[in-house]
Amino acid sequence: MENQYYPWDGEFITCKYNSCVAVVLLNIKYNPPNTVAIYGSLKTENIGIEKIVANTISNPYIRYILLCGDEIRGHRSGSSLISLSENGIDKNHRIINAPGAIPYIENLDEKALERFQKQIKIVDMIGEKNKIKIDKKIDELLKKSLSSFGKSYIAIRIIPKTTKIYDKRALHSKIFIDYLGKIKKRGE
Amino acid sequence: MFSFTKEQKIFEISGVKIGGQPGNLPTVLFGGFFFKGEPYFDTAKQQIKDMYILSNKTGNPVIPDFFIKKEENLEKIIEFIIKEIPKNKPFSVDIIEPDLKIKTLEILSNKNLLKRTVYNSIHIGTTNEERQTLKKHIPEMAIVVAFNPKDKSPDGKIEVLENSAHLLDKGLLDIVKEVGVKKILIDTAALAPGNYSGAAIAAIPVIKEEYGYPTGCAIHNVVEKSSWLKNFEDSRGIVDVASNINIPVFGGDFAIFGPVERANQVFPIVAWEDILISEYTENYFGITPDNFHPRRKFFE
Repeated sequence: MENQYYPWDGEFITCKYNSCVAVVLLNIKYNPPNTVAIYGSLKTENIGIEKIVANTISNPYIRYILLCGDEIRGHRSGSSLISLSENGIDKNHRIINAPGAIPYIENLDEKALERFQKQIKIVDMIGEKNKIKIDKKIDELLKKSLSSFGKSYIAIRIIPKTTKIYDKRALHSKIFIDYLGKIKKRGE
Repeated sequence: MFSFTKEQKIFEISGVKIGGQPGNLPTVLFGGFFFKGEPYFDTAKQQIKDMYILSNKTGNPVIPDFFIKKEENLEKIIEFIIKEIPKNKPFSVDIIEPDLKIKTLEILSNKNLLKRTVYNSIHIGTTNEERQTLKKHIPEMAIVVAFNPKDKSPDGKIEVLENSAHLLDKGLLDIVKEVGVKKILIDTAALAPGNYSGAAIAAIPVIKEEYGYPTGCAIHNVVEKSSWLKNFEDSRGIVDVASNINIPVFGGDFAIFGPVERANQVFPIVAWEDILISEYTENYFGITPDNFHPRRKFFE
């Protein structure tokens, strides 16, 4: 039942659904206390961030995302998530001022991102791997016991249009395989 | 098993040939070093030797792929390459951080290594500074990753090659042309399960028929990212290794198979598939296997 709050698949553990804290693990081996709402690792600065946005705005109780562990080299996914929260995206859907290599948000609409910026505050503990310190910060955030943000927001994954093919020889909309086993471009 | 209508390009780097019609050349295998933790040079030295032995045994060419993640390791890794990779063999450098890519190109140029370098990689995150550096220090070969965050289907991969899905000023193939890299490999960008992961395989024949460029991917990434496989931990290794045969079956030319520790299993399984493909394509399409193809080894 609680997983209704987390509609996008991903590698995460759910705990107390009405907790106000979600924990994002970068390079760290750590299990947060079961008083948080959800926790999981973040690898990429595009699809990974999209999943975090979708699976936090869907639970209105979540008001904080705590980022901890060493930054993901190259991807800089943690810092890119902070940039998204602070700056949003530009007209090309690139996260403004994100330091990651490919920080594009393509599968969420602007409303979902606005909701994320309003609902969630990022607590930056990038670089911190001391479990005692992280636990302490989580306790501190839980004590703030912020109220729910209201209704759940289920972000619709934007899916590109697909081409339906009725040609049974087709391997793909662009190519088919002929009776001799030759691959050819369709329409030529 | 099939054959392409479009003429298929074959590129060579330091004696390793990549591309062509299925059944002609063996699948080229990129074995990865230094993904996790600090570089382990002593172990890597032996692993490189072992991988060349495997390559000789099966006939599948190998390109060691060095993951460089920290600037402080850059010089050490380049020195290691100079010392341990025979001077007549290629290698590839796999770097994510844009600034580090620039520094790596400069060092490779200073050390006269660019002729043996496969640059991994050019993609939509490639910065203007990186493009300017590539113009000055042109690697012999580059991997172009067809990752399109807007559309992960084969069509989306073509779109990013053609016009970078309008995320950059021009398409990735035009960027490669602009910087002056002549030999390119297309990586179809294997993504995590649930993210249209099969599209990386389906895109191989589509891209080869569209452009004729050597095409492949790091399909093992899909297995590595699978949480479902946690239910079958004993099988994760074999699933990872076996996933590579999808590449030659779909007409692909190279497999970036991940950590070198899997080489012992990857080489024979891919060689075996190359043999099956060659037997069929020679009989049916008249494609003769190259002199060092695994099928030649099979009859030695």
